[in-house]
Amino acid sequence: MAAHAPLITGKPEVGKPEQRDRLYAGFHELRRRLQAARPDLLVMFVNDHLQNFAYNNLPAFCIGLAPTYQCPSEGGARLMRLTPRTVRGNPEWAMRLLEAGLEAGIDFAYSYEIESWDELSVPLSFLMPEGEIPIVTVYTNCAAPPLPSPRRCREVGAFVGDFIRRQSGPGRIALVATGGLSHWVGTPETGRINPEWDHRVLDHITRGDIEPLTRLTWHEIERDGGNGGQEIRNWIGLLGAVPGWKGELLAYEPVAEWITGCATVWVHP
Amino acid sequence: MTTPISYALNKLLTDIARRHQMHESLSDEETAGHALSEPERAALRAGDTGRLYELGANPYLIRRVFRRRFTI
Repeated sequence: MAAHAPLITGKPEVGKPEQRDRLYAGFHELRRRLQAARPDLLVMFVNDHLQNFAYNNLPAFCIGLAPTYQCPSEGGARLMRLTPRTVRGNPEWAMRLLEAGLEAGIDFAYSYEIESWDELSVPLSFLMPEGEIPIVTVYTNCAAPPLPSPRRCREVGAFVGDFIRRQSGPGRIALVATGGLSHWVGTPETGRINPEWDHRVLDHITRGDIEPLTRLTWHEIERDGGNGGQEIRNWIGLLGAVPGWKGELLAYEPVAEWITGCATVWVHP
Repeated sequence: MTTPISYALNKLLTDIARRHQMHESLSDEETAGHALSEPERAALRAGDTGRLYELGANPYLIRRVFRRRFTI
């Protein structure tokens, strides 16, 4: 699990060098472990920022059926200072997940074309710089309230986890969640970070005790973690897929210049 | 309700954000054809990000369109 923010790659020079280096080291360690796990597919719990889903059509949960993703899209490339590249999707696998979800009462929306912003591009630039592993995306609405409850995000994650465990075949699947922790974006408190709340969330994750996180209300998250803190839904989804697993905190830095409480966490049994 | 939502403001700002344009403010000519209230038009003319937030513009869209108004 890892933070996403356009400035992590867009303005590395404005961060304090020691903070930036510790956070980048966390990303590099995540990459090392991910590579060692030799996954054939990444299932990514992420969120849109109104680039794809706007107020005329806002799915709570959406499966990406795109055959490819431009990471990032051309419009985001300048801001994130990343060269756009193509990452393969896996529409067949994603369709099986979608159909199984609908059958089981998880009413996913779906999309054949997704414009990637920092939610995929920034973490993948560290975790998979060569773009060799295909991805399947599970988008959760974290940016345009009203939002699905954290409890529901865990249930959806649990379904995804059960679906993966039921798969036959030799494929190895890794889960990735991006976003968070506390940040205020575009609100009157833009730039605020709440390290105390971030540590509280991380403590629950490292103890494998996510139940209290699933009881958080939108108002509580908005007050303590900001509108950007709502993205912990992606993390809760991933943790819901692997009940009982715990997080190992690799790096946490409240980077004022990137207006984000940034963490990288490895999740293990 | 969790937070106020102005569909008219968000529709306008989504159109602009998806074209990757940034503005200091938006004149009445630039917002013509959108079903905005007078307080909404005034906040857009002034590039008043705090007022737009109060009026129900999504903060991610405020940030995208009026990025230059933010000191950080």
